[in-house]
Amino acid sequence: MSMPHAPERPRLTLGIVPLLDAALPIVAREGGFFAAEGLDVTLSRESAWSTLRDKLAAGMLDGAQLLAPLPLAMSLGASGPPCDVLAPLVLGRNGNTLVLSSYWAEGMATPLDGSPGGRDPAVNARDFAERLRRRGAPRPRLAMVHPFSGHHYQLRDWLTLGGLDPDRDVELVALPPSRMVEALEQGRIDGFCVGEPWGSQAAQRGGGHVVATGAQLWPDHPEKMLGVTRDWAGRHPATLAAMIRALVAAADWLAEAPEHRRQARDWLALPPYLDRALEHLPTLPLGEPPVAQRLTGLRPEVGEMARVVDHLSRQLDVPLRRGVVEACYSPVHFDAATHQERA
Amino acid sequence: MPQPLRILLVDDESVRAAMVEEALGQEGHEVICHLQSPASLNDMVERHAPDVVIIDMESPDRDTLDSMSQLHRENPRPVVFFADQHDPDSMQAALKAGVSAYVVDGLVPTRVRAILEVAVARFDAFQSMRQELDRTRTQLADRKRIEKAKGMLMKHQDCDEPQAYQTLRKLAMDRGQRIGEVAGNVIDILEGLEKGL
Repeated sequence: MSMPHAPERPRLTLGIVPLLDAALPIVAREGGFFAAEGLDVTLSRESAWSTLRDKLAAGMLDGAQLLAPLPLAMSLGASGPPCDVLAPLVLGRNGNTLVLSSYWAEGMATPLDGSPGGRDPAVNARDFAERLRRRGAPRPRLAMVHPFSGHHYQLRDWLTLGGLDPDRDVELVALPPSRMVEALEQGRIDGFCVGEPWGSQAAQRGGGHVVATGAQLWPDHPEKMLGVTRDWAGRHPATLAAMIRALVAAADWLAEAPEHRRQARDWLALPPYLDRALEHLPTLPLGEPPVAQRLTGLRPEVGEMARVVDHLSRQLDVPLRRGVVEACYSPVHFDAATHQERA
Repeated sequence: MPQPLRILLVDDESVRAAMVEEALGQEGHEVICHLQSPASLNDMVERHAPDVVIIDMESPDRDTLDSMSQLHRENPRPVVFFADQHDPDSMQAALKAGVSAYVVDGLVPTRVRAILEVAVARFDAFQSMRQELDRTRTQLADRKRIEKAKGMLMKHQDCDEPQAYQTLRKLAMDRGQRIGEVAGNVIDILEGLEKGL
């Protein structure tokens, strides 16, 4: 029974970006969940999504933490060289914050705080649009992390809620997550949409205010996913299954007890991972408003990706073939892995 | 003689940037260097309208360029260099050297290739230079550690210098480690003992 399931490739390198939703691979490694599945995993911290993407496509990484739209964008050849990529597991849901400088955000409601503006993201968005009209030029410069990201799409949706045209009324730029807070404090950008811990860090340092969150705009939407190339998955089915089981075990362990989340926070704060970016967080704030970061619900579902498909198809100006989308976000590998016995 | 190209070079390694700039300049191209933070990269691209942007594969600024080429069609487009499946060797070589490039639409691929070849060659040269430097640094640090470990061993085991060195050498051979690494371990252990741990 155990032999057919032994991982074909026990030593793996997975790419991550220093963000709170890199937690599952980090916990799976530091907590021994990968080891329990017979995997010796090295986590390689990458400084840009483009680098992660290119290394995954070129076979320099076995798998990677990817922005949820990236596997599809890569499969379509819209981002980097065309490369069929699968997203067999959701690494995190929610976690994005839309932060504006104090100049733009003054007096706006905090998301999910129970006030009308907290419940309905359109309230702050309309307020922003009104301020923009009243103040006139120059156009505010808003940053996101990558053109094929939930951050970019959620930012566009929020602006649209306020009646603004994301392509004309503001200037959109991409910055690395770790540089957003500094850029905002120096006035080089007016706001940004980014994953944790960077949004809460900006709010805590006082340079910006959280005026909307991904949890409010796209509730419980998959934000990061595990990505492997289809070619790799075909050659290493047992390894992929073991990897999926280890990540599920890490998520279960995290959900078990508050001590586990504090322990995980300390692992994430190790220098190879998030290092000092976590200084303002005493534990992993899972499920807490306004961010409502979730590291549960790991099974992907094609139906959940409708918003991503819609944005991507408008962005590329082509209708997307359903087969490509289904191949990309299929739960088949997840189901196969979680129904198997351990090796 | 083909028309010279305007090349924007984005690199935090100022020595490497200077090497690449010089090499491309000799080929008759105009090189604009960008060494600072990414927020001004947008302005830089708009102001200089480069034909090609060359950037370190590992640079955190890559997403900024990716985004510019995706959002605005007039900006430099990502080069299909990596996507050239007919020539996986050159792709691997460029990846290894850590070079990525972004070019404007319509530029002849062979010209881009020529530029990248020059850049890649300089990256390689820089890489070996840096490795040599790292090696020298390690050797220096090792030598200091070995001296210290020898001194501590002599005191602790009441032996002479050749004996202390023999002890380190034997430990290194037994463990398959560099003598410098073993010296580091010995220092840690003996310092621990001295502190009464």
